[in-house]
Amino acid sequence: MNETPVPETSERYKTLIVVLTMITTVITAIVATLQADANIRANTANRDSQYYAILASGELQRSGLQSSYDLNTFARVLLEQQTALMMQFTSLEMQQSNDKMGTALSNISALAAQARADKLASFSVFYTDPRYAPKTSDELPNADAYLADTSAKANEIVSKQNAAADDYHEWSSKADSYVGVLTVMAIAFFLFGLAQALTGRMRLVFAIFGAVILFVASGWAMLILIV
Amino acid sequence: MLKRLNESPRLDIFIAVIIAVVSATTAFAAWRASMVSSAAGDAIRQGLIDAVKKQTASSEDWRRTYEEAGHAQTYAVTLAQVEAFENSSDKAAQAQAKNMRQYLLPNLQLIVDLTKDDKYLKSDGTYDLDQRFADLEAEAPDLAGLSPEASFKLSDQYSSEQRWLTVGVVLLAISLFWLALSQLNTKRSRLATLAIGAGIYLIGLVWFGLVELIFLIVRGGAL
Repeated sequence: MNETPVPETSERYKTLIVVLTMITTVITAIVATLQADANIRANTANRDSQYYAILASGELQRSGLQSSYDLNTFARVLLEQQTALMMQFTSLEMQQSNDKMGTALSNISALAAQARADKLASFSVFYTDPRYAPKTSDELPNADAYLADTSAKANEIVSKQNAAADDYHEWSSKADSYVGVLTVMAIAFFLFGLAQALTGRMRLVFAIFGAVILFVASGWAMLILIV
Repeated sequence: MLKRLNESPRLDIFIAVIIAVVSATTAFAAWRASMVSSAAGDAIRQGLIDAVKKQTASSEDWRRTYEEAGHAQTYAVTLAQVEAFENSSDKAAQAQAKNMRQYLLPNLQLIVDLTKDDKYLKSDGTYDLDQRFADLEAEAPDLAGLSPEASFKLSDQYSSEQRWLTVGVVLLAISLFWLALSQLNTKRSRLATLAIGAGIYLIGLVWFGLVELIFLIVRGGAL
């Protein structure tokens, strides 16, 4: 009658440990690759976030110069229009008091102010651009639409910058977490190495410890990958 | 026979030599992956420096454009006033207009580039600021010609290569593990682990070579 050969005590569980070590190696290799990938993605997102920050600062400066020019022009239009009006009132008053010189001076000032106001209005987007120009003479220009349009591009760049910064934080956090997993994997390797060196019951104990740690580390890596 | 081969001291030496070769290859592969990573970092740094330079030049050009626009506006408004005086029936206004045209307007024009060249003058009497900005940008082609995007594209290529090289390094490291296992093993599985280690090493080597070759072609021969 043939009996199944019983392995020597020194060889018992050795194959199990080799298989576990092999599994650990493969998982470690996968996690190391994922860590490198997460690191690269974090670097790329970091780069994009810095680039968009540069673009946003430039656009904010440009739109600031533009709105300063536009609002200054608009303010000058209002000033000259009101100056022309005041000078016309003054001219009428001078006329009523028979002050011919005063009337003439006031008329010249009113004429000059009106000419300046008309020319300035042709420079102002608040009068020339149909998106902002008042529909009737009583209305004011649409300042809200102007402000929204002026800041639209900067806002768009800033939102891209924010998205890139969020990506950077996400990938950087993942890369850091993978380093944690790799450290735990190193512990599993150490335990399997000890198990390989030991014999008997202690070999199995260390193999079980290693397997538990391998299981936990694998679960952690899966969690990082999914979340 | 297999048992004899397993216990042969020559196999020990053979495995030791293979381990030495694989270790050296792994070290070289790790160095190359690190170099590629460094090149990606350099390209990112260059791109960001170019972006700052280009944006600063552009901001300065916009500042000059709007500064000139303000002066040009003053000139145009003063000219409008002169024309209004010239068209009026008031003698004093006409005299004032004559003097303004003779003395004031030429002086105002001196400081404004926008009013000197007719190409900036639009049909409505205002000025083409976009054209002026484009001309100012063209005055410094070395700054306007900077392309951060090109550096970023290069960094993307290096990063992508680094990603695939890492896989190659991992394969080489795995082969090293199996070869070490075969060196420690004296039983019947020794040859099997040696074969697995050598096989993974060859796959890793081919992988590494292919990745290098593909990205070398993509970058037009640049390492």
